[in-house]
Amino acid sequence: MLSFLRRHREPLLVTLLLAYAVLNFLQSNRRVREPNLVDRVALGVTAPLQRGVVATVDGVSGTWSRYVSLRAVRQQNEGLREENGKLRGEVVGLAEVRAENDRLRRLLHYEEASPGPKVLARVLGVNPDPNRLTLRIDRGEGDGVRRGQAVVTTDGVVGQVLRATASAADVLVVFDPNCRLGGRIQRTRARVGVAGAGDEQALKLEYLLRTEDLEEGDLVLTSGTDGVYPPGLVVGRVTGVQRQTSGMFLNAGILPAVSFAKLEEVVVLAPQPSAAPFPVRTEGRR
Amino acid sequence: MSSTVVRLAVTLLLTLFLLALESVVVKYLGLSVARIDVTVAIVAFLALRAGLLEGALAAYAVGYLLDLMTGQPTGLYTLVALVTFLLGRFTASLVDVRSAISFAGFAMAGDVAHGLLAWAIGGVTGKQLHLAALAGLPLEVMLTGLAALLLYPLLRRFGLGAERREPGLLGNR
Repeated sequence: MLSFLRRHREPLLVTLLLAYAVLNFLQSNRRVREPNLVDRVALGVTAPLQRGVVATVDGVSGTWSRYVSLRAVRQQNEGLREENGKLRGEVVGLAEVRAENDRLRRLLHYEEASPGPKVLARVLGVNPDPNRLTLRIDRGEGDGVRRGQAVVTTDGVVGQVLRATASAADVLVVFDPNCRLGGRIQRTRARVGVAGAGDEQALKLEYLLRTEDLEEGDLVLTSGTDGVYPPGLVVGRVTGVQRQTSGMFLNAGILPAVSFAKLEEVVVLAPQPSAAPFPVRTEGRR
Repeated sequence: MSSTVVRLAVTLLLTLFLLALESVVVKYLGLSVARIDVTVAIVAFLALRAGLLEGALAAYAVGYLLDLMTGQPTGLYTLVALVTFLLGRFTASLVDVRSAISFAGFAMAGDVAHGLLAWAIGGVTGKQLHLAALAGLPLEVMLTGLAALLLYPLLRRFGLGAERREPGLLGNR
């Protein structure tokens, strides 16, 4: 018996490892768990790495922009090449600074218009699984970010914090199929459900009776009934209204107000006073 | 023993770095771009080069990190990485992979298996199996093959799993 175990030690250990992986997966019950010590250490290592990569990419793209500008000027005028190149480089840099200033100013206005604790955060990256649409931001528990908090920009709703560690947090974006929120049609004040459809260009409008008044382009706002998002935040505009001849509800989509591909800074809002338990459905599409 | 621990640590650090790099690259390219399964390239390399136990432990750890980076760790990718490693080890006994191009092909096949396993296991346990969820797989497989091509010299330089003596699922007895 002992010699058998000794001879087949490695295959047996691997079988045990496989069994442990299976049990661990089945036990997790597809629920989001709080990060343990090992998770926190690994996430603590990746966040600075991501910051470093972002800084490097920003630096390289800035240098590239200046290089491209310099080449264009060189072709136009050989004599003024150096001076023009320098000026154009500065213009590129200033345009970038101005764009950033504009974004930050709008966020500041948002702060004035909507007082209360908020955390301004930068988007670091996107998670590696296309079926779980989350973003990594550079603010975490150390900055007051907690699971379940709403994340917005001046344009509208981005999502909610799914998990926070000391220096970073993951945000589940609204167009993830597991995401639900309470909405309201601005024009008619009708309450609706909003669900992610896995596509950053479209959300699903749910639970609006077929007989209700709804038009293309109607603005959808948060209703505040989900306990996560405060009322009045812009979700998007109604698109693709379909009234079936049968069934209780009509079908429509929502074009999100936020351009997710261009997200750079976001605001994490304080929990709502009536915050319900985390309303994310973690079962479903993989 | 100590060299195994060092190789395992190098594998984990390299995986963390590649996952961090990938998440930033995907962010710059836009959310709708298919992901690049860099971890599958690492698991494929382990299947070719590592011993059974060392490779299984490393694949488990790599899958764990991928799970962690998804934001909603459920253990699915840990399990799938381990199964992909075992499948890869079995396949490695049937094929000869010695160049970057053949490694890219091997990694692409691994990515197909990885994607299908994740889809099937995740779908069955979630009681939902949508074929539409596989729409991005071909592009992901192509991108993973490209990544494997670029990573091959790096993985060889780091010498991940350099201890393996024979190919095959149970080849290192």
